Amino acid sequence: MMREFLGSRELMWRLFVRDLSARYRQSAFGYLWAVVPAIITVATFTWLKKGILTGIGDTEIAYPAYVLSGLAIWKLFSVGLTKAAGCLIASRNLITKVNFSRETLVFAAFGDSLFNFLIHFVLIVLVFAWYRIVPSWTVVFVPVVLVPLCLMTIGMGFILSLANSIVRDVGSSLSLLMTFGMFLTPVIYPPPTRYPMVLINYLNPVSPFITAARDLTISGTLSQPWTLLGMSIFGIILFVLAWRVFYVAMPRVAERV
Amino acid sequence: MQSDVVVQVNQLSKKFCRSLKRSMLYGAGDVCRNLLGFRSHSDQLRTKEFWSVEDVSFSLKRGECLGLIGPNGAGKSTLLKLLNGIIIPDRGEIRMKGRVAALIEVGAGFHPMLTGRENIYINGSILGLSKKEIDRQFDSIVAFSELEEFLDTPVKNYSSGMHVRLGFSVAAHLNPDILLVDEVLAVGDIAFRAKCRQRIQELIENGTAIIFVSHDMHTVSYVCPRAIVMMKGKVQYEGVTPTAIDVYRENAQTRGAQLTAGTGEIRITNVEKLNNRDEKQEGIGVGDFIKLRIHYRTSEQIDNPIFNIIIMEANGKQVSGIRNDYDAQQIPSISNDGYVDIMIDHFNLLPDMYSVDLVIFHSDGFSFYDRVENAIQIKVNGGRQINGTTYLPHSWGWDQ
Repeated sequence: MMREFLGSRELMWRLFVRDLSARYRQSAFGYLWAVVPAIITVATFTWLKKGILTGIGDTEIAYPAYVLSGLAIWKLFSVGLTKAAGCLIASRNLITKVNFSRETLVFAAFGDSLFNFLIHFVLIVLVFAWYRIVPSWTVVFVPVVLVPLCLMTIGMGFILSLANSIVRDVGSSLSLLMTFGMFLTPVIYPPPTRYPMVLINYLNPVSPFITAARDLTISGTLSQPWTLLGMSIFGIILFVLAWRVFYVAMPRVAERV
Repeated sequence: MQSDVVVQVNQLSKKFCRSLKRSMLYGAGDVCRNLLGFRSHSDQLRTKEFWSVEDVSFSLKRGECLGLIGPNGAGKSTLLKLLNGIIIPDRGEIRMKGRVAALIEVGAGFHPMLTGRENIYINGSILGLSKKEIDRQFDSIVAFSELEEFLDTPVKNYSSGMHVRLGFSVAAHLNPDILLVDEVLAVGDIAFRAKCRQRIQELIENGTAIIFVSHDMHTVSYVCPRAIVMMKGKVQYEGVTPTAIDVYRENAQTRGAQLTAGTGEIRITNVEKLNNRDEKQEGIGVGDFIKLRIHYRTSEQIDNPIFNIIIMEANGKQVSGIRNDYDAQQIPSISNDGYVDIMIDHFNLLPDMYSVDLVIFHSDGFSFYDRVENAIQIKVNGGRQINGTTYLPHSWGWDQ
């Protein structure tokens, strides 16, 4: 399994580059499209917060910067998961006609989301500079916190891509779930502190990572270290198990995609 | 497994499900059982399942080329997919030695928006070539495809022939030990097809074992000395290609349904194939005598009907036609039952299975009383398959 993975690194890169360069080739704004939805979302909520959503508590840093940082991580998860879940169906023709390591497709699909995140990152730097926010030195640990999130996303992607190949309902419900999922995650509001809303911090698998990444960027101290640790371990275990499941189940699924 | 045997297939079986919903159900069940380490009950037939490939066994040595022929839905492609490891068998085993490459679909993974150059790299990686290998062979791939001018054009603007040419060119540079080819040479122009055949020949000489699926009997008889005929998932015949082709043609012909049409005052009731002593005969040799006796029944008196026979190849291409009005023969008024004979002194068609359509026209030569498609089949026996359909009587001479 591992050998197959190492052997197909090159293919993974090719598929990733293929999808990326093909997507924006016939568009005038090119890669800018990756951040346009984020900019619109941030602008909308910043405006809404002034008049209607006044219930949202004050954030430690300027609200647009706050929303954008949360949104970037949320999208890393949601876009990654949606792409990974759909990748087997999108490459149906390839799967039924050529024998190659199919994990590649899931990894390449997630790579797409990772690239998306990097573009958002550039935007975050610009916004932080605009508001003259100086991040804490602990910001260098943010990538470490995000690794388990990535693994968890890929792990879920493995399972959902298989399930989606057999029953298409998975893909349809996923996009629905992701729209509401964002509001159940501390993206546009600070982590709640009172019951029952506080459950969002524990039950939503993405929350601890977003909170931790913000903590490291702004204050330098983790506010929910144990939830983060638990969710990280969960993410890693899920990734390993899901990969194994994918490996075993793929031949049976290939004929039914 | 003997040292030079590279493919060994033993009692291979694979089943599919006719119903999509059930297939999903079974699939989910099997996956769960596999994951929990239980045996999946996939070696027995469940409701709505059927064997797509059943009890297929054969072996293939280095440098051998095996043809795989059979009607649509016989399980040929499924067998190739099993060999390629895309799907797993329900019963039986496959053992293969060496690098396997499959041309089940050319141009797999081509992205329409990207250029030919980029797609060569993508397709190459999918088929298992490393970047270094592609770099090294890039010029040769491009030269083979003859698409130098269009290398930086998006593939979406390629014609389907160009698409196939680019795809095959990449695949032709794989240098596998075992190559599986599924009906891909049928596209592309004559010159390119010849090039592909030549490339396959080269691979065979270099010791590649090839399994070749095609409906084009001429190509099969050129490329493969040995062939397997598949019918409904089972091996109908395995052996030398000319006999295999005969077996396939016989089966393919009897499959065709008879179609009847026309105004119906006269109906064809039976057609017989007779020899010169008026005895029934089955297969004939090239250039033999054959008499076709067409029995009819009439419901009223018919004036000057026109009998027409049309001889066709298996692919529906008309080879020859005979009409009594064109031969300046007038059949008088007929009534009741009777027959019309057509004597062909030399049936100069090459070995193949031919089907015969019969039409009885009104005396205007346009509207018809009766038309029977595939009324009878004429099998011409023979050994070596020569390209073409017709034997031209000829002789030789030379000056030394």
